[in-house]
Amino acid sequence: MSQYIPVPVEIVDIDIESPNTYLITLEVPEEVHFSYKPGQFVMVSVFGLGECPISITSSPTRKALQLCIRRAGRITNGIMDSRVGDVLGMRGPFGNGFPLEQMQKNILIAGGGSGFATLRSLVNYIVDRRSAFGDVAVAYGARTARDLYFMQEYEGWQKAGIDVGITVDIGDESWKGNVGLVTGLLDKLRLSKGSAAICGPPIMINSVADKLMEKGFARCDIYVSMERHMKCGVGKCEHCMIGPHHACQDGPVFSYDKVKSVL
Amino acid sequence: MEKVHTTCIYCGCGCGLILHVEDGRVMGASPSPLHPMSRGRLCIKGWLAGEFVNHPDRLRHPLVRDGERFVRATWEEALSFTAASLKAIGQEFGADGVGVLTSAKGTNEENYLLMKLARAGLKTNNVDHVARLCHAPTVAALSYAFGSGAMTDSISSLARSDAILIVGSNTTEQHPLVASYILQARANGAKLIVVDPRKTQLAKLADLHLRPRPGTDIAWINALLHVIIRESLHDKEFIDARTDGFEAVRQAVSSCTPDWAGAISGIEKGDLEKAARIFGSAEKGAVVYAMGITQHTVGTDNVQALANLVLATGNIGREGTGLCPLRGHQNVQGACDMGALPDLYCGYQKVQLSRQRFEQAWGTELPDRPGLTALEMLSAAEEGKLRGLFIVGENPMMSYPDSGRVRKALDCLEFLAVCDIFPTETTELADVILPAASFAEKDGTFTSTERRIQRIRRALDPPGEARPEIEIASDLLQRLGVPADYASAAEVMEEISTLSAQYGGVHYDRLGVNGLQWPCPSRNHPGTGTLHAESFPIGRARFRAVEHREPHEMADGEYPLTLSTGRSLYHFHTGTMTRRTSLLDREVPTPVVDISPEDAKLLQIRGGQTVIVETRRGSIRLEARVTDSMPKGNIFVPIHFCEAPANALTAQTLDPQSKIPEYKVSAARIRRA
Amino acid sequence: MRAFLPGDRLKSLLTALGTHMDVVAPQLVEGAVVFASWKGQEIALQENSLLPPLEFLLPQRDVLFRYTQDSGRYSFVEPSAKFRLIFGIRSCDLCAVAALDKIFGSAPADHPYFDKRRSTVLVALNCTRPGENCFCSSSGSGPECQDLFDLLLTEIRDGYLAETGSPAGIMILKEHPDLFLDAQESHLAEKRDVLRNANSALPVREERSAANVRVAMEKADWDALGLQCLNCGSCTFVCPVCHCFSIFDAGVPDGERLRCRDTCLLSGFSRMAGGANPRISQGERLHNWYLDKFEYIPQKTGLAGCVGCGRCSRVCLAQMDRWSLEVGR
Repeated sequence: MSQYIPVPVEIVDIDIESPNTYLITLEVPEEVHFSYKPGQFVMVSVFGLGECPISITSSPTRKALQLCIRRAGRITNGIMDSRVGDVLGMRGPFGNGFPLEQMQKNILIAGGGSGFATLRSLVNYIVDRRSAFGDVAVAYGARTARDLYFMQEYEGWQKAGIDVGITVDIGDESWKGNVGLVTGLLDKLRLSKGSAAICGPPIMINSVADKLMEKGFARCDIYVSMERHMKCGVGKCEHCMIGPHHACQDGPVFSYDKVKSVL
Repeated sequence: MEKVHTTCIYCGCGCGLILHVEDGRVMGASPSPLHPMSRGRLCIKGWLAGEFVNHPDRLRHPLVRDGERFVRATWEEALSFTAASLKAIGQEFGADGVGVLTSAKGTNEENYLLMKLARAGLKTNNVDHVARLCHAPTVAALSYAFGSGAMTDSISSLARSDAILIVGSNTTEQHPLVASYILQARANGAKLIVVDPRKTQLAKLADLHLRPRPGTDIAWINALLHVIIRESLHDKEFIDARTDGFEAVRQAVSSCTPDWAGAISGIEKGDLEKAARIFGSAEKGAVVYAMGITQHTVGTDNVQALANLVLATGNIGREGTGLCPLRGHQNVQGACDMGALPDLYCGYQKVQLSRQRFEQAWGTELPDRPGLTALEMLSAAEEGKLRGLFIVGENPMMSYPDSGRVRKALDCLEFLAVCDIFPTETTELADVILPAASFAEKDGTFTSTERRIQRIRRALDPPGEARPEIEIASDLLQRLGVPADYASAAEVMEEISTLSAQYGGVHYDRLGVNGLQWPCPSRNHPGTGTLHAESFPIGRARFRAVEHREPHEMADGEYPLTLSTGRSLYHFHTGTMTRRTSLLDREVPTPVVDISPEDAKLLQIRGGQTVIVETRRGSIRLEARVTDSMPKGNIFVPIHFCEAPANALTAQTLDPQSKIPEYKVSAARIRRA
Repeated sequence: MRAFLPGDRLKSLLTALGTHMDVVAPQLVEGAVVFASWKGQEIALQENSLLPPLEFLLPQRDVLFRYTQDSGRYSFVEPSAKFRLIFGIRSCDLCAVAALDKIFGSAPADHPYFDKRRSTVLVALNCTRPGENCFCSSSGSGPECQDLFDLLLTEIRDGYLAETGSPAGIMILKEHPDLFLDAQESHLAEKRDVLRNANSALPVREERSAANVRVAMEKADWDALGLQCLNCGSCTFVCPVCHCFSIFDAGVPDGERLRCRDTCLLSGFSRMAGGANPRISQGERLHNWYLDKFEYIPQKTGLAGCVGCGRCSRVCLAQMDRWSLEVGR
């Protein structure tokens, strides 16, 4: 059977993360053996509208398969217009995921905006396998407090011994936390030299990477989850190429030195 | 897989196209290597030309209105209802109570039969099509100036020009094959002068880019003439031998100095003089123009001004020279040639003068007075004078100006029949919808902007019960008592060739990959590449002095920006075909309004923000794009998007001579949503 | 195995083969050589087609599957490939097939491509009459076919020398013994002569070698080239190695998921949701097209990304010099 034929998946839960973002939980048919690693993605179909790549935001250590959908175009709008019980299509998992075997025990996770959805998979994986890791910190920033995802989980992460720093670009009366860039958080967190996983807009990635290297992180230990337009997910359609690499197979997680020139 | 040679459906370039058909579906397309103009090349739309043909939205069955919905009808029901309704209205309100709007996307044969339907069947000269909205000024002005309203040379001859003046044409986006030849000339050393308020791709490649205030073209063209005459660059020999009326023009432009023109148009005096010298001293100069010249209340005068320019410099009748109107639709030239016009029969024969000839040919009495133009028909509908309309392959709700008013007019009609391949904003309002065959599903001919008459060939069957329009028109003609028993499109062309001198020698057995360029008066005639080489159809060409007049609706305190509407490379007109083509839709999925950085800053608008564009007619919501290709004080809205229809904003102010609306200048304002 | 096919029996062979598969052969449509289903027309071998026969392995538009919805549940039907024989494919295009086999064969192997590939018999033709724009010898991809054919024909006096390249080719010879004659030494000698002549007829186009193009790429003013590009996509659509595609749905609630040929020269190709575009200028996109052909494909597959067919320069709307990459004016 062609690798282009999706598996039908049912939406079993929808949570509103922010005004334009839903957290959806999908049920994969029993006969389909679906296992994945943090940092991988799937191609989601809305039949009649098409397919688009969405990072898996849940951790494979937990039962629920979750995706974070943000309104960005026709297909994501189509997903957002769906209801619990509706059937979507799914192909995957695709991509290399975070290279946990190569990464150090100390981990810094830095996310900007909707890019954090990818990183949550890694955060919850670490929470569930906490003893396998050392000093772990999370630095996450969004535009405003309303745009922050997964707010109900921050406390749980702190309790799991992860140093969590949250910031917004623009504060308001309801927000009592940090206002400023993600790079600013790096000075406030308990950062131990190790590996970093970053996802967000190119400017944010570069400034965070620079700061981390100042603090002694090795360039080859800094990993970036790259966003690219994707269609096939299997390295054939050539849309997602970053230089000679396919973001869907050689990525989306790349070491910083490999992708610095295109950021 | 079968491969069928045909002609592209999109623009007036008229590229050869090979359609790939498998299992009754168009699965691809490729260029025609031996085509005399396209020579194995296509633009992105051409490569994808077959995709919309098998789209699930295709109309498949005749539909008749039942209250708010449409129900399926048989062809017999739909056609008899249509014929009876139009006939009844004619009987009650007079023949001029009905009208026919034909399709510039239809074949020559269809256009001929539809205008015959209007005249011989319905006894009205109320027949028109969208040339009214694009090159009606060309037909009017050049009929007067040259005796023939078409491009005077072949497209390929542009490669041999020494200087090309491109005015009001975003050629790389609207007519890519023409642009290819212009760029060839440029590579060979020709000088390009681009005149366009926007900094288009061609402008960036030009030697000189002049940016006039929209609607001030007569001023700077007259100033060019002024400089050319002042510096004795005009072709006295040619003027004396082949033209009349130069003196009046010389007088008229004597006061049109570059300073004066600069004050009106905003073009630098030095640039005007430079342009005049480049064009005036060129051995072979050509002028290429499109909507930026025609879509004004002074459109006809604009074209005459350009005609004055080429006549004064003797740039006509030789390869590499000429006046080149770029026709938009792939068969708007043909629709004009076929006389789908209220005042002309096929062959540009005037309705008052040639009536007897056609009465004889068609064996029936014909109406004697010229009919109404398209927008006049809509006004007449508003006034209750026009009550029935048959619209074929056109979408006036989207393409005509002031769509609010268009809606009102169409709502006033007692009977509206619309024939199309897809449901549109116009079919929504119809009483009868007739499903038509697309260009891939019928035989016929198209005539490109370089007057090349070319075959299209039926490559697959139309979907469902859809039919070619010559069958629909023939059926209606017969129901109205006019014999119309044509076995094929070829037979229709045989009839056309007996009635139109330009098509006299056009027979299907002669139409190979080269087609035939008119005039082609007889079977042995090879067709004509360059017009007016020896003489003009009127003998000597005519100069006519034209004067600058301000556009109708200028920017003011309430509406401080000047709005122009226009096209994109990736889409075609009302988007019914291109928005159903995957890659084209992917390239430009949504409308944007182009705004200059200065205006964006003033209005605190960022690129990507949703804004509201308003004029006195209406408003639309769309995304803003800040680009330095727009001059300060101007905004640009594309015409392809029904969710933000540009024509909700434009006005029905017409050029008194050609009745074209002033799409290119409206007063507008813009604010954040 | 070898045999000789007299010229006047070619049509009979194709007719016989056409009884159990769709035979695609080059024929004339309005004077142009095109590959289409053969129904007895004159076979046109005077030059290669403008559109490569690779379109039968990677169609411009292809149905990946049909989806039908029933009470919210979907079922999918995948079309199966037609049995086809492509007659007259030349060396340059065969080298492109080799490249696509490698590219689509990298894990996970592309099912729709290989379904067609396995169902297609390739009867190749040694190119004895190279075209004006051809430079296969400078790219190492012709004029002689080396590999991948099921049967290879070389046009010699009075007919064709036929050489098998696979079991399928052997089957063709074995199943039509009445059409083929024994191959003689003289036939082989003729083949060598004919190919030697073809090689010398091919203009030596050193500037079109991959090495020289790479040099040109270093020096090229991509911005200036990008300014001239007219976004037609023609170079991609006529290139036998180009294979970029996009996936689109047509039809709600029932419909088809289609795979359509795409081109990296269009802005939307790399544009992401939200509007950001890693290749924002036409110059960068043009540069990427060249990098893919002259660097990335050779690196990944060990095969040439350009087979020297010259089609891109024939169809470029901007008339770019596709090898020197110099901006005229």
